[in-house]
Amino acid sequence: MKYCILTAGLAVAACSIAQPALAATGNVTFNGTVAAICTLVVTNGSGTMTVSPDLQSLSSHNAGGVAGTITATTTGNVAISIGAPTAITVPPADVTPITWAPTYSVAGAHTVAETGASSNLSTPGVDTVTVHLTGTKTGSDIFAAGNYSATVTVTCQ
Amino acid sequence: MLRSLAIPFLGMGLAASPASAQSMSPMRGEVTSFTDAFAVRVFPSNPYNKKIRIDVRVYDQNFQPVDAKIAPDSFMLGAEASRPVLVVVPFDGNNERKVRICTESVPFPNEQTQIKAQICGKFLGQRRF
Repeated sequence: MKYCILTAGLAVAACSIAQPALAATGNVTFNGTVAAICTLVVTNGSGTMTVSPDLQSLSSHNAGGVAGTITATTTGNVAISIGAPTAITVPPADVTPITWAPTYSVAGAHTVAETGASSNLSTPGVDTVTVHLTGTKTGSDIFAAGNYSATVTVTCQ
Repeated sequence: MLRSLAIPFLGMGLAASPASAQSMSPMRGEVTSFTDAFAVRVFPSNPYNKKIRIDVRVYDQNFQPVDAKIAPDSFMLGAEASRPVLVVVPFDGNNERKVRICTESVPFPNEQTQIKAQICGKFLGQRRF
């Protein structure tokens, strides 16, 4: 009997030792917000305009012309647009009016056909923005020999 | 004025912790001010692998220049670097004002057609009495 009681006592002690600790749980909540972000990297800022055979168009679209390119990376919910050219220089011999038309197209995560208007990039992605500039003469006016230059601003907002 | 500016600074600062390869953050914001001006802190970034010059400009909704205090308004920024710029915009007698704060990279010279990249954030300042 004593043996049995002792055995039982050991069993109780063993149970007390092996009793699992109360499990404590906790949750960690993570939150994050990605704001509207736009990065423009000018990958080719050396656009080149060439003159058309009729000498009335000076454009990066003409044969031998080179467009500017920009890589646009955005989280979405932004708009891209192009401004009127600034810092325009023409040779002294050119005294007739020129109509300048900057345009751009977008390819990549978004597709925007060549336009001069603003375009929404509502979804995230990486795009190549191709920038063109065209100067046009009308009537009997033609471009003169010399150097022409202009600055085109591409805006992401 | 200092007290009212400190509140929007904190809020904008938390939302705008700078990272590499961003041209400017934040690009959206609303600021409440109890004075005749409101302040925004933006972080222009240089995503290039070389040093460039950056200009910061403030425009209204029609892209007309706004007479704001920008510190600094033009600076050199190292490769993949970012720095804070403080912009203080007067209300000019209005109760609210919408402005665009733009980071403009200066084109590399000696090219026929120069491309200028401009990142603009839209900000609304609201005046409380």
